[in-house]
Formats: sequence, C-alpha cells, structure tokens
Amino acid sequence: MSAKSGSATAERAEQRQGSRRPSESLTREECLELFKQLYLARYFDIRLIKEKKRGRLRGTLYSSHNQEAILVGSLFGLQPTDWISPIHRDMPAFFLKDIRAGWDNDNRIGMTIEEVCCQVWGKVGSPGRARDNWSHIGSKAKKIIHSTSMLAGTIPAAAGVTYADRLQGGNCVALTYNGEGSTAQGIFHEAINYAAVHKLPVITIIENNQWAYGTPTDLESPLEDFADRAKGYGIPGLIADGQDVFDVYDKVMEAVNHAREGKGPAIVECKTFRAYGHGDHDDDRAQKYRPAEEVEKGRQRDPIAVCRKRLIELGHLTGDAATSFMAEGKGASEATNDDFPPEVVAYLNKGIEAAIASPLPAAEEGAMWVFKENN
Amino acid sequence: MAATTEAPVALKKNYLTALKEALDEEMQRNKLMLCQGEDIGRLGGAFGVTDGLQAKYGVDRVVDMPISEAAIIGSAVGMALNGMTVMAEMQFIDFISCGFDQIVNMMATYHYRTAGEVNIPVVVRGPAGAYGGGALYHSQMNEAWFCNSPGLKVVCPSTPYDAKGMLKAALRDGNPVIFYEIKELYRKREIEEELPTDDYIVPLGKAAVRREGTDVTLVSYGQNVYHCLEAAAELEKQGISAEVIDLRSLVPLDEETIFASIAKTSRVIVVNEAPMTCGFAGEVVARITTKAFHLLDAPPSRVTRMDTPVPWVKPLELHVLPSVEKIVNEAVRLVRF
Repeated sequence: MSAKSGSATAERAEQRQGSRRPSESLTREECLELFKQLYLARYFDIRLIKEKKRGRLRGTLYSSHNQEAILVGSLFGLQPTDWISPIHRDMPAFFLKDIRAGWDNDNRIGMTIEEVCCQVWGKVGSPGRARDNWSHIGSKAKKIIHSTSMLAGTIPAAAGVTYADRLQGGNCVALTYNGEGSTAQGIFHEAINYAAVHKLPVITIIENNQWAYGTPTDLESPLEDFADRAKGYGIPGLIADGQDVFDVYDKVMEAVNHAREGKGPAIVECKTFRAYGHGDHDDDRAQKYRPAEEVEKGRQRDPIAVCRKRLIELGHLTGDAATSFMAEGKGASEATNDDFPPEVVAYLNKGIEAAIASPLPAAEEGAMWVFKENN
Repeated sequence: MAATTEAPVALKKNYLTALKEALDEEMQRNKLMLCQGEDIGRLGGAFGVTDGLQAKYGVDRVVDMPISEAAIIGSAVGMALNGMTVMAEMQFIDFISCGFDQIVNMMATYHYRTAGEVNIPVVVRGPAGAYGGGALYHSQMNEAWFCNSPGLKVVCPSTPYDAKGMLKAALRDGNPVIFYEIKELYRKREIEEELPTDDYIVPLGKAAVRREGTDVTLVSYGQNVYHCLEAAAELEKQGISAEVIDLRSLVPLDEETIFASIAKTSRVIVVNEAPMTCGFAGEVVARITTKAFHLLDAPPSRVTRMDTPVPWVKPLELHVLPSVEKIVNEAVRLVRF
C-alpha cells in the first residue's frame, strides 16, 4: 500500500462514511463469493501470462495483478441495468460483471468467459469478431462500453449513456475505470464537468496504482490524492483502500447510491499498486525505472490476503478453508493450478478451450462493417 | 377584408431556415432525438439555426452544453449507444478540432470495431467556409480530415433544398455524419427557394448537375458551386460551355456523375476552398486519373485555396481563395491545352 493513504486520508474517508458500512450487510455467501472472484481475476491474469510466455498469444498483456479488489469490489453492487466502462488493465471486469448471477448462468448479462478468451486469442467468437486487440471489447447488449486506447476517452460516452437512459425513464448508473495517469487528459475534465452540470449518475473510478507506464504520480499531478479533483466539479471525491475489496465495495456503493438518488456523479479513488510493468513487454524495464524496495512495499498487501484475513475475522473462513489456496500473493512464475479453487480453474479452462476451438475471422472481414448498410 | 381569390404566394426560404425546419421536423418525428451544442437553447444558436427549438422541445432535448466540444461529441456517442439520435452542433466547424479524437477514434470506428453491433446515428454539423472575413479560426473547410477517417460520411449542401433534405437524410442514416454548412449562404437572398411542404430527403451520395455544358466540367461543392456557376456564365461569353457539378456528398462520392460529365467534356477542374495539399480536390482528381483517364483530353486540374491559413483582411483573403477569375482562367487554359 502506498504511503499516500496515510492517517489523514483514512480519517477523511471515515468522515464521509455513514454509520453503517454497506459491506456489513453482506451475507457469508456473498463474502465468500467476493473472495472467489478475487481468485478468478488473479487466475485469469496469471494463466494468461503463462500462455503468453508459451508463445500461444500475440499482443500485450496488461496485468490486473494486485488491483483485483478494485474490480471485484466495485462491480459487486451493480444492477443488471447498469453500465460499465473498463480499460486495458481491467480485463476481468468484462466477465466478472455479472458473476453474482451464478458461474454458469445462461441469463447472465456480463460477457461470458468464452467471449473474453476468444478476444484474447483473436478468434471469431469474440465480441467484435477480434477486430481490435485484447481489452478493446465491449457489448451494447451487455451494457459494457467498448474501451479504446485513448485514456479517459470513454467517460463522455458513459455520461451520454446515462443521459439517454434518464431521458427514457431509466435509473441506471455507469462506472468508468481509469488509471490515475488518465486524469491529466482534457477529456477527463470535459466529461466530468458535463456530468456534474447535469447531475448524471457517472462514477469515475481512479485506479491509482502509482505509475502511468514509466512515470510516477508526482510527475503526473501535484495532488496527493487524485480524489481531490472532485472539488473542481463540486462533486464527492471518495478514497478507498484499493487492496481491500470490502472498502472498495463500501465507497463505490456510497457513490452509486448518491448517483442513483439523482445527486449526480462522484469520483472514487482506489489506492493500489501496479505489481508488474505497464504491460508484459515492459516487465524487465520496469525494474529499472522503479526502485525495488518500492515494488516490494507496494506488493505487501495482496488483496487476496487482505480479504482472507477479514473473512477469518468475520468467522466466514475456518479450519482448512482458512488456509487453502494461495496463502501468499504468488506471482505468475510460482503459482500453480493448485493455488486456486478447482471451479475457478475449470471456469477459465472452459473459456480457453472455446477460444482455441473458435476459428480466426475470414480475411475479407477486414474490409467489412465500415458503415452501417442502409440499402 | 374581402375574400381573396389570389393564388397563395410561394414563400421562399433561406438556407438557414431550411436547416431549422429539418431539425424541427426530425425532432417531431423521432422522440429519441436530441440536439446539443454551445448556446443552442436559450440563445437559439450563434447563427440562429436552432432558434425556438428549446421552447418547443424542452431543455432536456435541446441542450445548452459547456464549451467542451469533446464532451459534446463523446456524450453523443454514448447517447447513440443507448438508443438515441443526436445532432451535435459545433459553433464554428473550425472548433471541431477540439473534439477530433472523439470523432475519429470513437465515433468513426464504433461500427467497425463491434462488427456491426453498434451504430452511431450522430450528426456533427456546423458553419464552415470563408469569404466573410472570419479569419484563421472561423473560415476553415477541414473536410479532408474526416474524409480520411473511415467510418464517417461527409456532406456539404449548397442550396436550401439540399440543406433540409440532406440534414434529414443524415439524421436518419444511422452512421455518423459530418455536416458542413456554409455560413455565408445562411441568409443569402439570391439562393432562397421554395421548399416542398411534404416530408422529403435528399439521399447522401448523389451529386447534382447544376448546369449542363460540353467543353469543360467544373466539379465543386459548398460556396464554390456558385463561383463555378458565375465562371460558367463568364465562359459562355467567351464561347466555352462549362458543366457544373455540385458533389453535395464527399463520402460517399458519386463518381458516376463526375465520369459521365467528363465523357461529354473531356476536361475537368475540381474547385474547393480547402488548401491544395492533401485536400479533397486531390482525391477527386486521383479517382478521375485512375478510372477515367481514357476520357480526358487535358490533365485534370484543381483550383483551391493556396496552402495557407485563411487571412482576415479582405484583399489577403480573396488572394488565397478560389475565385471566379481563377476558375475562368484555368478553364480557358484547359480548353486550349
């Protein structure tokens, strides 16, 4: 955890917090589900790194390792009518979104693991038929805004989606995911300012992982807390411990409830740390621009370990269950399938098998769908 | 008052009124359409194109936006993603550069990257063009930026009839359309015309032959169409018969009408007011040389703005822009080639 989430920050966050935290209402089953989803996100990441190292994948992998609690905690409180807008480091968000409906629920609204794996493998079974790489997917039907490489560039779309929804009598919220580096983009300001003017239910999640590619936060912004950007828009700026899935859930739910009541947008900064390089192409160089002791410190509070500790305190994990599966936050090189719950392994294997079986798109498709045909 | 037996006087309408009628009728027709832009509601638009629409359709459907072109366009993309049709006004088309990324990376590519799952019915329209002393940042024709961005339709009507019919077609098209209006034509009396009282559209992608001729083809769009017509009248005095084609739509481009004309005239000049280098006139010439070379008796030519910004003071402005004189001189040169 970063030094930036010091006691003053915690105090401020505490002040904003209501008397009863939303996570205190979660059942034992829901808590265990959150725990399992952390494993699922982690396993997806570790397995893909291994697949890449075996030469079975092309493109660049942007690891969500150590940042999973942000995805899991923020998505867990959403309704099926809500929209999300993940970015490159959030790939598990595409299939985690609706996992609460059940691991193999045909009626789920999130993407299936098969669709996401087909995207990773560049196969025709992916949404968009593998026309853009890796995380650049989305689904209108499943209310996931398609990510682009232009950071913060989908925040205005999220705002527009909610405007249209409200005009049509809906009550959705939209969650957008952004690195702290993207807050320097002009479009970040334009979109949130617009959303604030119209009190649109857009929650801007800032995943402050301390590094924008090779640039540390003190060269990205003079602010200590990126949540302070909210002051400029007259909206709430909350800070969550990005390593603690329950704290993320609490703060995001607070923002979601605020937005759903028609009170407008909010920013939720989640303090975390990027475990690896910017992408897997960058893992070796990352050791040069980042001090080893900083990386060591940043990885100390693994979200899986933090969650496990909490579940033990709550009495939800006891006996063998409290010690099984990846007690320490293992990296891709040391983790094995035995470190993960069998259903997590089976779930992803199903997706990978589907991806391998799915064909490549026909070459001619490269020239198709430039325009909607009106004839 | 005595009962009148006179026939009703046909009411001629200007280019601006035609655009306003198009927006009004489409908002009436499509409850899921909205308009947004800077000062378009209370003020009714800097030029008055949206005047009266907010009073009629409310603040939620005719939205005064912050000075944020990227947010105006980007939020329109999100609205389109969630079932709506949006007209996004740029106060001057020059300012579209502030929303450039949202247009070329988000709006233009959405249909492609989703393999057809998503389409974006957004029309980005705004006043464009020079000849009015608007200077560097209120005079541009930047259409080539968008013609070079696959996934966008790019159009530029020159008459009130086309302005209304093409704006309605653009709003129903389902694809993102960049809609160039010529601000010097908004209130030009000479081009006012009677418009049909029934609903009509002018399909995107069809050029119009504005004047028939046999010696040289003048291909143009926007305000330069009128320069070409004037040039044709001048050329007629010299015994040269010029045909004038108004492209109306750049993407998609009606090659057929251009080639059919060149088959008659065997000479062609493409006239537009954007800079020459990498401008749209160059694209038209390239298509002609590639596909209609056998029809030509002289090299296809261009009359465009010089490769300069648009200066403010009148003599400077007119010096760098296409003019009737420049078109006439070039036509004479080609006919004598």
